Amino acid sequence: MQNRTRSYVTRILVSLLLLGLAVSGLTQDAGVERGGTLIAAWQQDPVGLDPHITSARSSFQVLENVLDTLLTLDEELNVQPSLAESWGVSDDGLQWTFTLREGVRFSNGRPLVADDVVFTYQRMLDPATGSGNAYKLGGVTEVAAPDDRTVVMTLGAPNPGLLGRLATDKTVGIIARESVEDGTINTEPIGTGPFKITEFQPGSKLVLERNENYWREGLPYLDAVEIRIISDDAVRRSALISGDIDWAFAVPAQSVEELKARDDVVIDEVPAGAYWYIGVNLNREPLNDVRVRQAIANAINRDELALAGAFGNAEPTQDPIPSSNVWDFGYAPYEQDLDKARALMAEAGVGDGFEFEIMPTSQYEESVRIAQVLQAQLAPLGITTSIRSLEWAEWLEEEGAGNYDTYVCSWNVLVDPDDFFYAQHKTGEVFNFTGYSNSTVDTLLEQGRQTADFEERREIYAQVNQTIVDEAPYIYIYNPLEINAYRPDVRGYQTRADQAIRFVETWLDR
Amino acid sequence: MSSRYLLQRLGSLLLVLFGVSILTFAIIPLIPGSPARVRLGVQATDETVAAVEKQLGLDRPLTTQYVDWLQGIVFRGDFGRSLINDKPISAEIARRLPATLVLAVAALLVGLLIALPAGIASALRPGGKLDLGVSVLSQIGVSIPDFWMGILLILVFAENLQWLPSSGFTSLNEDPADWLRHLILPAVTAGIISGSIMTRFTRSALLEVLHRDYVRTARAKGLTERVVVVKHVLRNAAISIATIIGLQLATLFSAVVVVEIIFSWPGLGSLALQSTLQRDYPVLQAAVLMSAMAFAVINLLTDLSYVLLDPSIDYA
Repeated sequence: MQNRTRSYVTRILVSLLLLGLAVSGLTQDAGVERGGTLIAAWQQDPVGLDPHITSARSSFQVLENVLDTLLTLDEELNVQPSLAESWGVSDDGLQWTFTLREGVRFSNGRPLVADDVVFTYQRMLDPATGSGNAYKLGGVTEVAAPDDRTVVMTLGAPNPGLLGRLATDKTVGIIARESVEDGTINTEPIGTGPFKITEFQPGSKLVLERNENYWREGLPYLDAVEIRIISDDAVRRSALISGDIDWAFAVPAQSVEELKARDDVVIDEVPAGAYWYIGVNLNREPLNDVRVRQAIANAINRDELALAGAFGNAEPTQDPIPSSNVWDFGYAPYEQDLDKARALMAEAGVGDGFEFEIMPTSQYEESVRIAQVLQAQLAPLGITTSIRSLEWAEWLEEEGAGNYDTYVCSWNVLVDPDDFFYAQHKTGEVFNFTGYSNSTVDTLLEQGRQTADFEERREIYAQVNQTIVDEAPYIYIYNPLEINAYRPDVRGYQTRADQAIRFVETWLDR
Repeated sequence: MSSRYLLQRLGSLLLVLFGVSILTFAIIPLIPGSPARVRLGVQATDETVAAVEKQLGLDRPLTTQYVDWLQGIVFRGDFGRSLINDKPISAEIARRLPATLVLAVAALLVGLLIALPAGIASALRPGGKLDLGVSVLSQIGVSIPDFWMGILLILVFAENLQWLPSSGFTSLNEDPADWLRHLILPAVTAGIISGSIMTRFTRSALLEVLHRDYVRTARAKGLTERVVVVKHVLRNAAISIATIIGLQLATLFSAVVVVEIIFSWPGLGSLALQSTLQRDYPVLQAAVLMSAMAFAVINLLTDLSYVLLDPSIDYA
């Protein structure tokens, strides 16, 4: 197990002590070969590239290499400086001041100024933009730039988790206002990252070329990354084995074992900050009865679900935070016990069984496989389930409108405990699709945001975790492994627990 | 053939396209789901969906949207932009229409290379061993699903033998040799199936002619079998075969969609599928319109080819 045992807050303190620590210069490696084009394969086409609108991972994995954030996470998920080289907070915790690194330029050559940060975040917060990602700004209400290198953010309430928030994924990446003004934000957003988008053919390929103005000296090593869209699992696997591609995103789960045995393919995996779960509609009978939900949680066999859903490339779990995260609680009150499940059902007055619908999406075959095994596992209890598998656009609409009994889906790119609980379970939050509402949990979630001390915070989230698992608006199934596969001559790449795909230090040994 | 006939056909073609455009425009928004929701994904809320729909102009009445769209096409030849990725649709069509045409024509050629020799050979000795073999093979060819055949070919020729690329596309101007290498597997996949169908049609078209009186007469005259087949049988069967070829080309135009997806071939079919899944209305409309047009044009060309094949046919 790697050492990931420091909280954000201690990370913040360390970061404050190390003010001005330059990331550049630390990563230079004597043996690297420069140049070349890495051919990567994505399963799905980016759903537009406007970081404020899209929520598709296929889009953000492109943006990961194009945009920079004020702060960043290293491989151990510690907060590190990026565009901001130092920062501080006012005594009341409501005002954060960031000092920008000097000499940073956008890929179009224009120097980055504090106004760009203001522009980016104001656009995100503007309701007219319709950004579904605005909540990721961690409660920032105002952004100002007193001078070219200083950004001041004002919060409605203290949030020590802000730094982690500003470091996690590229929803909060800084964009050049030119991209918005000339209308290219959704096709070729301009950032300060290691690569720039030079060609985007939807459904076919996207080309990233080296950003000659990149601020980290000597990086990136590659001249270009060509991302090809290969939607078929079997074809992506063949393309990797035959060497048509160098690197693959979304390795078919059923091929992982076979690929591990080959010496011409590297399988790089890590438990991801992600979980698969059953979302339960708390407004539907008899699922609104907590005992019924607990009966389901007791009846299912998570090992089987992990085998069927992820072909075993997952860690079965009863609570959301994976073992690779310092915040893992390992709370597991359920065991597959059909008698206990029957007793709970009898108590709830549905001892003879009941019917409900499971709604997976054909967009993720994994969710369909999970639903099929769930159906079989619940049948012995007299629970009759029907599976309504919808394609993505319709699924989204039905989930959003609450037209379901239960659905199967996953949350991804979660780091801080706040990421795992707040948006999903706080009363009235926009992504609380189950209708869960518990005033104690609400208070705890707010406290968690405002607490800096690690032990105190851990106590808070342990309670939240236990309550959610016990009351089961979500029934957790497993934490998937994040898996990338590549040719052995691809060097300097590492699969990350935060699921970010970064090619900045990648090079080709050929 | 009169120019009036041609004008009439072109006029009705335009009418058909107009009808298709109204139908697609009316039907597509009835599919549940919206492009704004697809763009926002799991994080869509009613507020953000409304804001994005406003930016995309989807809050306007459907008739206004249709008139704007039609004006764009008629006056500027402009299909508008994708609602998902903002790319100009005309450029997308210009990139993908030729790719699908090339694939469909290449598949048709592969199919003809199979169908003509096999169909003729088996028709000449009906019930013989060769005929039996051809009919079994063509039955298999018709039954094999194209996605399975495609993956099988990739496993053999890309993964194991490594003779050909597993998927993808290179443009002809960039590198003709590489373009051809990428074309072979998808064209063969679609061509084997199409060829199997055409083999059966060729065989029965020839058999029908072979039993005609004039063929018996030709044989009775003492003509060699070769002359009988080439001058009498093939010429008279040509119209049926041309009809089948036309229909196959039109069918291939839409049937290659699965092949396009398997091989990541940037064609019109995969564009239509992707835009349907993403509710990218204007892209889907453009793709449907282009497919309808291709279908109509191929039919027109087939009809016109009859004039060349049969001197007794003329269109007034």
